[in-house]
Amino acid sequence: MTSSQTETVPDSAQASSPPATVQAFLDAFARRDVAGALALVSPQASVTVHPLGLAGAGRDALRTVLDDLVRAFPDLRLTIRRVITTGDVVTALVKAEGTQATDYAGAINQEKHLDIDQAWRCTVTGGLITGVSAYWCQRQLYRRLAVKRFDAIAIA
Amino acid sequence: MTTTQARTAGSAAGVVTEFFDRYRAHDVNGMTDLCSINADFSYVPVEMWGKQRVLRGDGKVGTIGKPLWTGLINAFPDLTNTVHTMTANDDGDVVAEVEIAGTQQLAWAMIKPAGQHYREPHLFIFHVGEDLLIDGVTAYWDDASMSQQLGHEEVD
Repeated sequence: MTSSQTETVPDSAQASSPPATVQAFLDAFARRDVAGALALVSPQASVTVHPLGLAGAGRDALRTVLDDLVRAFPDLRLTIRRVITTGDVVTALVKAEGTQATDYAGAINQEKHLDIDQAWRCTVTGGLITGVSAYWCQRQLYRRLAVKRFDAIAIA
Repeated sequence: MTTTQARTAGSAAGVVTEFFDRYRAHDVNGMTDLCSINADFSYVPVEMWGKQRVLRGDGKVGTIGKPLWTGLINAFPDLTNTVHTMTANDDGDVVAEVEIAGTQQLAWAMIKPAGQHYREPHLFIFHVGEDLLIDGVTAYWDDASMSQQLGHEEVD
């Protein structure tokens, strides 16, 4: 399923608990089902992805982040290490792994393997994710992709 | 810290609030006093790649965390923090979004001091035990952003 296909909200999403909603979001992302993941995100969700300098709103902001990852790492594997529920906030600690197949975040493709620990802090309201803040270390990411300098990311 | 207070979401968050108050006051001994003797520590972005091994920011508060906090405060004498969000549960999990900022006066990691200032969002995940001592600290942030703010453009 690609992100351009019709988005439908799974039945489970509307009645699920906050951790179940985030788990379903991550499960869909792990299947590289971006549309399925975004179906669990509010159209007005606030989206902050710190390592990419992204602070936006709505599914489209998040769609770009997820699409870029899935496209650049077609064998992307997401391992959920821990899910922490604190009220309506669910924080998922995950490891993302994959082999680079196209340029990503300015880094040219050198077919390097990526493994990076990430934290996704999600606020859930009414069965939908209404806020996402993602944290990971871009130095680790660039190191894995054999980038040498932050001011010359595209130079191998 | 000796207490007869029961662990609740509120009391766990109170311990972590006190932790950041002491961090802001550069009271490293006070910070560690809030942690159990064997508290786990993981600063996920910290990794130093040598030719044959990788040193990571994983271990115990007493052996890895305390020297890191002390070194950071020495290198950034005006180091401060701002807690933006904090959520907790009755199991002792506390998730905090915290901005750490400071002006570099001494070498830090591979970064030579140039008097540059940084301000970087962090996500902290704590676990507070039933004795109201912190027994786990994990943090995520983008070390590339911090490095670039300090004028260091080399990935390694």
